[in-house]
Amino acid sequence: MASSSSSGPSVPVVFTTQTPYPLPTQKFMIPATWRRFHLSQLINKALSLSIPVPFDFLVKKEVLASSLGEWCAENGVAEEETLEIEYIESLLPPEKMSDLPHEDWVSSVSCELQGYFLTGSYDGAVRAFDYSQKLDTACPIHSAPISSICVVPVNEDDGSHLVASASHDLTAQLTRITLGAETSRSQLLATLHLHTSPLASIASNSTGSHLLTASWDGLVGLWDTKIPTSDEVPEETIDHERKKRRKLDATAKPKRKAPQAVLKSHTLRVSRALFSDNDSKTAYSCGFDSTVRIWDIENEICTQTITASEKPFLDMIITSDGNTALAASTDRTVSLYDLRAGVVSNTLSFLHPATPSCVAKASSSLHQIVSGAYDGVVRMWDLRSTKDALTSFKAWEGKKKVLGVDWKRGLVGVGGEGGLEVWKAGEDGSKSG
Amino acid sequence: MTATEEHRRKRKQPVKDDATDGVFHKAVDMVMHSDEEGGSIASDTDDAVDEFPGIDVHSDTDEDDSDFEDDDEADEAEEVLQSSDEDNHIFPKAKTIISDITGQPKRVYPEIEPEYDSDSSTEDAPNRVGNVPMHWYDDLPHVGYDIDGKKVLRPARGDELDKFLLTVEDLSSWTSAFDKNTQMDKPLTTEELDIIRRLHANEVPDAEYDPYEPMTEWFTGKGKEEIMPLSAAPEPKRRWIPSKWEKQKVMKIVRAIRQGRIVPSKPKATAQQQFYPIWSEASTSHAPPLPAPKPKLPTNSESYNPPEEYLPTEAERKDWESMDFEDRERDYLPQKYSALRLVPGYDRFIKERFNRQLDLYLAPRVQRVKLNIDPQSLIPKLPSPSSLRPFPIYKSLTFLHNDSLARCLSVSPDGAWVISGDDNGVVCLWEVTVGREVKRWKFSSKVGAVEWCPRTDVSYFVVGIEETIHFVIPPNLSPSVYNLTYKLLAPATLPSPPDVPSAVKWTTAPSSSWSINLPILTVQLPQTSGLPKQLVWHRRGDYIASVSSGSNLGGVWIHQVTRRHSQAPFKKIRGSVQLVLFHPLKPHFFVATQQYIRIYNLSEQLLLKTLVPGIKWISSMDVHPSGDHVIIGGYDRKLCWFDLELSDKPYKVLRYHTRAIRSLHFHPAYPLFASASDDGTIQIFHARVYNDLMTDPLIVPLKILRGHQVKDGLGALQVKWCNHHPWLLSGGADGAINMWCS
Repeated sequence: MASSSSSGPSVPVVFTTQTPYPLPTQKFMIPATWRRFHLSQLINKALSLSIPVPFDFLVKKEVLASSLGEWCAENGVAEEETLEIEYIESLLPPEKMSDLPHEDWVSSVSCELQGYFLTGSYDGAVRAFDYSQKLDTACPIHSAPISSICVVPVNEDDGSHLVASASHDLTAQLTRITLGAETSRSQLLATLHLHTSPLASIASNSTGSHLLTASWDGLVGLWDTKIPTSDEVPEETIDHERKKRRKLDATAKPKRKAPQAVLKSHTLRVSRALFSDNDSKTAYSCGFDSTVRIWDIENEICTQTITASEKPFLDMIITSDGNTALAASTDRTVSLYDLRAGVVSNTLSFLHPATPSCVAKASSSLHQIVSGAYDGVVRMWDLRSTKDALTSFKAWEGKKKVLGVDWKRGLVGVGGEGGLEVWKAGEDGSKSG
Repeated sequence: MTATEEHRRKRKQPVKDDATDGVFHKAVDMVMHSDEEGGSIASDTDDAVDEFPGIDVHSDTDEDDSDFEDDDEADEAEEVLQSSDEDNHIFPKAKTIISDITGQPKRVYPEIEPEYDSDSSTEDAPNRVGNVPMHWYDDLPHVGYDIDGKKVLRPARGDELDKFLLTVEDLSSWTSAFDKNTQMDKPLTTEELDIIRRLHANEVPDAEYDPYEPMTEWFTGKGKEEIMPLSAAPEPKRRWIPSKWEKQKVMKIVRAIRQGRIVPSKPKATAQQQFYPIWSEASTSHAPPLPAPKPKLPTNSESYNPPEEYLPTEAERKDWESMDFEDRERDYLPQKYSALRLVPGYDRFIKERFNRQLDLYLAPRVQRVKLNIDPQSLIPKLPSPSSLRPFPIYKSLTFLHNDSLARCLSVSPDGAWVISGDDNGVVCLWEVTVGREVKRWKFSSKVGAVEWCPRTDVSYFVVGIEETIHFVIPPNLSPSVYNLTYKLLAPATLPSPPDVPSAVKWTTAPSSSWSINLPILTVQLPQTSGLPKQLVWHRRGDYIASVSSGSNLGGVWIHQVTRRHSQAPFKKIRGSVQLVLFHPLKPHFFVATQQYIRIYNLSEQLLLKTLVPGIKWISSMDVHPSGDHVIIGGYDRKLCWFDLELSDKPYKVLRYHTRAIRSLHFHPAYPLFASASDDGTIQIFHARVYNDLMTDPLIVPLKILRGHQVKDGLGALQVKWCNHHPWLLSGGADGAINMWCS
């Protein structure tokens, strides 16, 4: 390979990868004028792959965007120095699949269910769209804006799904939604009563046995998903509206559910509370007090606090291995925190030009995340390359805020001011989409 | 003649001489004044030594003179003067006769005839004006007055020709002089002429004085020896005792030596060679002469053998030659010589030197005193803004009021919700972090002010529109908060009405028809009170003060929510009230009129202080959460910081905005304040206040936020900080409410 290079300077390179397409460990002399495309062709030819796989190349935590020689000149690397280049499967440019306008803003999107998109909207309704862009069901379950929804992965025998939604009306609700064109219906099962301020998020654990709610009053509520047979919380009456409530009693009323535990430690609004993917005993939360907290659920104590300085967090995800947290804050960064270290040191930050409101991780890849920002741009990042986004796309025309993203099965659901947009991105997008 | 006779005679003679001297002197008086004094002194001395037969210079002259005279008489070939002396009989000759009575010889002088001849002193001068300056009579026809008081007329005087003729005709005119007293020529007397002659001959002017007279032997010779001492008085005692004055002088020296003023064995200053720095500059107050500017050094092209590229081409040479002397870029053409010895004489040398001299002396040389100050050193040392984070730096989101001015806004005490009012009467409730409108109220007229109640156990806000203040409950409250709020604003039992009926009416919406879309409580201000420009809560959330635009009582009302009672705190107030504020800790009340801030103690009803910001028209005011500092903004772009402990004059005046300041707000927790201006910018300042009274507040300008469009001359209208976070909300004339995030 090195001998085939054209005349001109060349750069010694060693390729590494974590993809299932490894090259033998060998030093290559690559012409300095080569770009990503040439390198990708080189690897494809070297492995003689039947279906060409595009690759991206990371040089020292940076995606190679220019030619190798230019990169060396920019970063002051001598051409004799051996470069270690990691190649990753390239993210294809995202394609817009569908645009599903809503009457109101969409605060939260879930692509959890195969074949459907669930949205929680500011008009208080949970909507389900199937992949043919048809509104499957719309259930106005809240009287106030929904701030977050999640699908509780419980295996219901009749094919219905349990959806939890958190709202500004100070409650979260568990709704059973049966999807399907004709049979679609929804049933309100329980309302979760704890918070005295609007709720910010709701999340379920991987088994669907527990829920976590985060609220503006600084509390994190831990709930099980069993539907109680009777009200666990007495109804708080509003004095002068007693008569109206009595009337409502006649209809089938959802049961009022009390929390299993309340996690108190945040001093300001909690913006996100999450379960660990692997460990059912651990939960994470972040809030406007610039802290990321790790909770021991069984003992209901905060085991660790990561305090950032002046970074009110808006959203957070935990990587699949449970070691790092990615939190979006109002100082226009998405920061990477090592949960094992316990101290904030040298955090990696993904800089945004506008406030990042939401982050989501790819279901398939360990390293890829997507973030939506108030400038209406959704950016995809590789965690190994903090400098630039891998790719980005703008949802909607004009300046409309992105409020929620979800990335599952190669589909990115983008919810926000303009409704819902679905984009195809990721390596398995072609299979599912 | 016996010795005594001789003696007597000798003694008498000087007296006579004196007399003659006196006469003589009087005669010469006209010309010489100084001699008279000398004569009188001489006579005095003569008087003093009359007892002692001193050496008299004139003693023997008489005889000698007479001898001389005799000689002179004998030969009177010349010495006219001498002879004239004789003729005039100045010296009357005495005769010695034997007295008939005593039988002794006596000297007899001739009778003095009282005629003009006798004595010059008796000459009758016709002019009796005395010794006055005669030029007094210059313009008069007379020259004085005679003894009878008659005018003495000025004698006729001839012209120069007459004078000349006179000198020719009259020989005596050579010996005449002008007499001022009579204003005519008078012939000089012979004595005067003699004096003139003597002076002319460098002789002693006194004719009587003989410089060579023989010595008179008084005490030598036979019979003249003095055997006995002249005085028999015993030697005085002082000859034997030591002198007191000497002793004093010696003691003075001794004292000086003791005190060290005189060092006895002081080494004599060796005669050092003194050097005079004749070449060094004398220290003068003048500035030293400025050095002349140096002439330019020659360049390569002036070389006798310049490189080829410096040589002019033929066209350049022609150009140069055709140009005027003044237009030439340089006054020579480069020329090339192969060797230095071929270089001809420098023909422009004199001209060049001459021009140089012209330059030097015609160009005024002034030393310009340039202040060599680094401008950076004049800037006060301020910490860098990046070290003072966090503060708002970017626009996170925008909330739009369509087609209207976003005139007022307020942030809820928990920092999560914003209400904003516009000129169409629309009040919106929206989330701070998302910017999503949750609810909207429509009022009948434009909204003047909105303000959240600072209480955290209840949640409501007030909206000021024309002559009315509405109390509104936001949606999505927890039941406990809602119940408490409802009970507060619409209590089941109304508190007893105040004794004095107020002009302000409190109306609760009836519970049957009330919904969350309507204000639950309405305060009707008096008629013609106009739009409430400002609503401000007391920190406990029970009192709210409103300032209306057009009213007689200054438009200030303080409303108490629990008692449902309103009162006007001021019976009359000077000037129109612009703004009011409650002190955050004390029962003090700030009232801003157009130019002054007055601070009242509400509990004691006293005027505590008047602040004079020096602003033409106050537009905005805020008090620091500590209560010790007030910032005041004006329509004349100035922002004044008052330290209430210090003075009623501003501690600092900032003028950073280019247009009128509209709004100011201190952050309740962070050391920040913001100012909004009609230039569409918002400026963020770091304002750290120290508990230490000695340390001045630190004010650092941090950031200018630009994002509001200027519309109809109005820019940013109001700024409010978010509690708990360094986030800023600003409403502008373009209808946008921006949220600025750190």
